Amino acid sequence: MERAFTPLECLLPAGNLKFCLLILNQPLNKGHFHCLWNRAALRACADGGANHLYDITEGSQESFLPDYISGDFDSIQPEVKEYYKVKGCELIETMDQDLTDFTKCLQILQKKIEKKGLQGKHKLHVDTGLEGPWCGLIPIGSPCESVTTTGLRWNLTNQVLKFGTLVSTSNTYDDSGIVTIETDKPLLWTMAIKS
Amino acid sequence: MERAFTPLECLLPAAALRACADGGANHLYDITEGSQESFLPDYISGDFDSIQPEVKEYYKVKGCELIETMDQDLTDFTKCLQILQKKIEKKGLQIDVIVALGGLGGRFDQTMASVETLFHATNITPSPVIVIQECSLIYLLQPGKHKLHVDTGLEGPWCGLIPIGSPCESVTTTGLRWNLTNQVLKFGTLVSTSNTYDDSGIVTIETDKPLLWTMAIKS
Repeated sequence: MERAFTPLECLLPAGNLKFCLLILNQPLNKGHFHCLWNRAALRACADGGANHLYDITEGSQESFLPDYISGDFDSIQPEVKEYYKVKGCELIETMDQDLTDFTKCLQILQKKIEKKGLQGKHKLHVDTGLEGPWCGLIPIGSPCESVTTTGLRWNLTNQVLKFGTLVSTSNTYDDSGIVTIETDKPLLWTMAIKS
Repeated sequence: MERAFTPLECLLPAAALRACADGGANHLYDITEGSQESFLPDYISGDFDSIQPEVKEYYKVKGCELIETMDQDLTDFTKCLQILQKKIEKKGLQIDVIVALGGLGGRFDQTMASVETLFHATNITPSPVIVIQECSLIYLLQPGKHKLHVDTGLEGPWCGLIPIGSPCESVTTTGLRWNLTNQVLKFGTLVSTSNTYDDSGIVTIETDKPLLWTMAIKS
């Protein structure tokens, strides 16, 4: 099977590419950084990468907090580590000396991608006979930038779901008995139970 | 500038305008059984897929305005609010608050739809909009400072602050049992529920993002 890929797509300002950002322990290019940071689904630093993040975001570090910093912490500056720790960033110490900080960071990233369901694809079987007439998708805690569904009366395609913009309520099913939902952020599914 | 408001004050005086959104007319008809004539709404709006035919007929005959709204992208509640604002402007009424009865019970998706209407309400009307059902009230706080008077005597024992729609990066309160200071409110981090009041009779809330206030009404 052929896998198609556009290497520089991540640097394009528009588009729906879903990617994660790992910052490694090398000087950062400011232009690339801002373009990538804004649209990344997950952001991490490998050890001393946190020093570069801290420097390049001087004056507004608070707006650029990584989801986690991992490594053996022999490169990260103590005050940088303390800053991100106080701000609530997850610090994951990885002692394995056979693997680089980059490799270990990648392993952790994959676990988080799976755990968060950032691959975000769901298949709901709605053919038990107990389903009532309504269902809905509620972006309850955060806006969802891209939701795609099948199996609903009113399906969505790369749709923004957001309070104040669009919330899917009073929806219902087509005849397929299956609903698929792909979402980039946590999304609350609600459905009627036949009384 | 701080916006001051007494959420439960509306349970005291009379209404300037009264409306039903579609099937809301069924509930009005039932609850006023025996004296429906004394409780005629100024208008009933909606796509009329919920109102019972005999109820619709009754109010039509009694001279209530029936306004059919076919837009399927907006809920009956939202459309009713749009019509209400037009009537308020047309009649030149001074309105302190718009009270929606119902909308918080039964179907979870419709409770969420009521919240969604509160988000749209800021673009529809300058008046505060509150939704009341049974023992609950909800009111959407826009970013900024708010002062809520909670000393009508009708306040029940619980209240909460719900960051519905987006996280709030910084919320500060006074007057609550558990106050917040520059606190993040976010689903998955912290949501303020089962909160209650101190003895001051006033709650102040400062928020950087829309935040849903909810409170108990004494039964």
